[in-house]
Amino acid sequence: MHLQPDALSWLFLGILLPQVVASAVAGMRGSVTFWVFVLGMALALLAGDAFTLIFGFELMSAASWLLVLRGDERPATFYVTMAIFSGACLIPAVFLPASSVAFVLILLGTGAKAGLAPLHAWLPKAHPAPPAGVSALMSGGMVKVALYVLIRYAFIILAPAAQPWWGVVLIAAGLASVLIGALRAMLEVELKTVLACSTVEHVGLIAVGLGVALRAKAMGDETLEGLGLQAALLCVVAHALFKPLLFLGAGEVKRAVGTASLNWLGGLVRGMPRLGGLMLLGAACMAALPLGPGFAPEFLLLHAVIGAAATGGILARLFFTAALAILGLGAALALGAAVRLFGMGFLGRPRSLQAAAADDIRGATLWAMGGLAVLMLPVALLPGLVLGTMTPVFLLLAPQAALPPLAYAPLSLVLLAFLAAAALGFVLQRWGVRGTREVAGWNGGFGAPPPWLPFGDPATQPSATGLAEPVARAIGRGVLARDMADPTEIWLVAPLLRLHGRFVRVAERIRRATIRERLAFVFGALVVFLLALGLGEGG
Amino acid sequence: MLGFALGLIATLLHAALVFAAAPLVAGVVAKIRAWALGRRGAPVWQPYFQLYKLLRKSTLVPETATELFALWPVACFLATAVAVLLVPSFCTGMLTAPLGDFITLIGLFAIARAATMLGGMETGFGFGGAGAGREVLFSIFAEAALLVALLCFVLLAHGATVDGIAVAFATQHIGISVSLGFALAALLAVALTETGRIPTDNPSGHLELAMVHEAMLLEYSGRFLLLFEYAAMLRLLLWMNLIGAIFIPFGLGQAGDVLSWPGGLLLWVLKIGAMAVVLPLFEVSTAKMRVFRVPEFLGAAMLLGFLASVFLFVAARIGS
Repeated sequence: MHLQPDALSWLFLGILLPQVVASAVAGMRGSVTFWVFVLGMALALLAGDAFTLIFGFELMSAASWLLVLRGDERPATFYVTMAIFSGACLIPAVFLPASSVAFVLILLGTGAKAGLAPLHAWLPKAHPAPPAGVSALMSGGMVKVALYVLIRYAFIILAPAAQPWWGVVLIAAGLASVLIGALRAMLEVELKTVLACSTVEHVGLIAVGLGVALRAKAMGDETLEGLGLQAALLCVVAHALFKPLLFLGAGEVKRAVGTASLNWLGGLVRGMPRLGGLMLLGAACMAALPLGPGFAPEFLLLHAVIGAAATGGILARLFFTAALAILGLGAALALGAAVRLFGMGFLGRPRSLQAAAADDIRGATLWAMGGLAVLMLPVALLPGLVLGTMTPVFLLLAPQAALPPLAYAPLSLVLLAFLAAAALGFVLQRWGVRGTREVAGWNGGFGAPPPWLPFGDPATQPSATGLAEPVARAIGRGVLARDMADPTEIWLVAPLLRLHGRFVRVAERIRRATIRERLAFVFGALVVFLLALGLGEGG
Repeated sequence: MLGFALGLIATLLHAALVFAAAPLVAGVVAKIRAWALGRRGAPVWQPYFQLYKLLRKSTLVPETATELFALWPVACFLATAVAVLLVPSFCTGMLTAPLGDFITLIGLFAIARAATMLGGMETGFGFGGAGAGREVLFSIFAEAALLVALLCFVLLAHGATVDGIAVAFATQHIGISVSLGFALAALLAVALTETGRIPTDNPSGHLELAMVHEAMLLEYSGRFLLLFEYAAMLRLLLWMNLIGAIFIPFGLGQAGDVLSWPGGLLLWVLKIGAMAVVLPLFEVSTAKMRVFRVPEFLGAAMLLGFLASVFLFVAARIGS
């Protein structure tokens, strides 16, 4: 065991700390498994040698498996299979010399843990299973630890053997994650599953940024290298703040309403104004809207991809143009998913009595979510300063990278918005008619609901499924598999399961072989062996 | 110091002009549309009366609305207003020029769109939700097409701020290229979608089932509706400014040079006037699409933007 933290470790530990505190405060502090999980993550981040890294990583996997298992048994097997696959790739990789094989193994191992397409199908199943505090830490923290391992190996340890195609592979996987994650986030109905799909999307965005930087590093392009790294690491920071917030909020919704299915929620802002405000903030960050912490990384990432499309050979340029289109699709889908999450869950009329009677959060969870929201402020309003404090990390990962100042200035935009708001307020105060009057909604001319249905018939309100129907019809059926299932489940997991079944049958057949068959096999093997030997000697 | 003062004056003049002229542009478009349809039409000042009427009317809030009912119109208006301040109208080099990165602009459009969609879902009635679902569908393709078209401008202008693109296109010798033609077509398709014009949406439609943008505003009245309607007018002028600054940047004044302002102002009025004439004529000559045809329309725009960049790549290859 050997601990040797450097700037990169401290950055990721700094990212981990607020969400661990938030999860602990929000109700996980009594669980031993939770603290083992946290210990595993911290060990992996602090590790100074390969053994400690793997030990911490596997400790994290095992503890999180126990936590998933306690929440829901069904996805736990799938989850532990992927964790074993990830370990099986990582353990040989960390002892290999710097080479492309090592990189591919590292990418498979960390990609399976981070939920990078095509190894992401477990994530939307496993992340929602445990209690909200663990879900928050899995999405905000565990995924980041896997990305930390990827960054450390791709940029530092394997750097001498770096090839441009490493970056291209990473970008391609990232783009697939962005598209599938954002599309599924738009179509899923369960609140926590929506958030988990959005995690897949954000991991994809981070991977695209890392890929651009990795490719640029191998090709010696300092500007792109700096832009890509800035985008990726700032996205890591932003995602680690807002995703735990959203997961904790989803847990509170489930506690208050009894379900987190968007089709049974509605109008929660009325009964839960504090939770509604915090979730609105989180949803705005998830959608990467300007003035939120999610916008600066998106801004840098799009500039990095535009920059990559402006240089290099024609095939690379076409690739990056397509990447830009996919990032545009993904950004708009993420916006749609965030709007749907908030609009269906918190606005409108309640779709069930429990939703109408939900009471607001208070106490520990409120403090945890509020703390995360406060930490978002500097990332949202002073992204340049946050990037400045991360300079040692950039210098460690890419000593020669150019780090241009950020061209996006949120404070100036806030100033402009404030001026516009002041002018608007003046006009409305001076000439407008003040006050509002509450009346029955117009609702296309339909009459008021009967007295025994105070919120009207819930079935006359568009559902979350209905809202996503145009998107499902136009592109869902093209990109996803039948019944809006994940394409990798149909094309990757299902064939592997069938193959597994076939192997099991063969093994069972061998186990049940009669004594005659076994003797015949031994005799046949002997004959073949002697024949081969004789032919080899004679020839 | 003088440069800063002139920049400030130019920015204030720009703000005053755009905020004052937005309803007029909407009125002119409506008037010409009426003429093209063989009607007399309302006077071009009608949108001002309309806005004033909404200002003076009482504001109704549906019983099923939440406390955030008032937030969405304000957010939509503020995002649009900030975006308006970033796009040059009659001169380049305003104080807000360095902020006007194209991607920031796309983000501000996204805020306005999100606020409108949430406003539609606010009361939980059918039409608002249906409109929001369609708006999501349109925005997905519009945003992708816009980003791909943006790539073409960045490749030519070596900068991503609208101001920088306008200056580069006005001063460098770029000439008329096939790429820019394709990019223009892509940008026009996105502009028609974003501003909710025919063929994707109909701003004067009265059939709820066919509405997209208007369907989300059905429950709003009084000063909240005023904000949404004014934001829509601003958005129309904003897109005209954007297309004017990128594709017809000739004669744009410079903030530091007062003598270039009158020419810039005159040309700006002419440019906006020309676009305000062409838009209704185009609208009258086409039919509104079915909702599920719009993705194809915008997908074609995305492909055109893609082709524009491909031609630039090939040209760079041959040129080097």
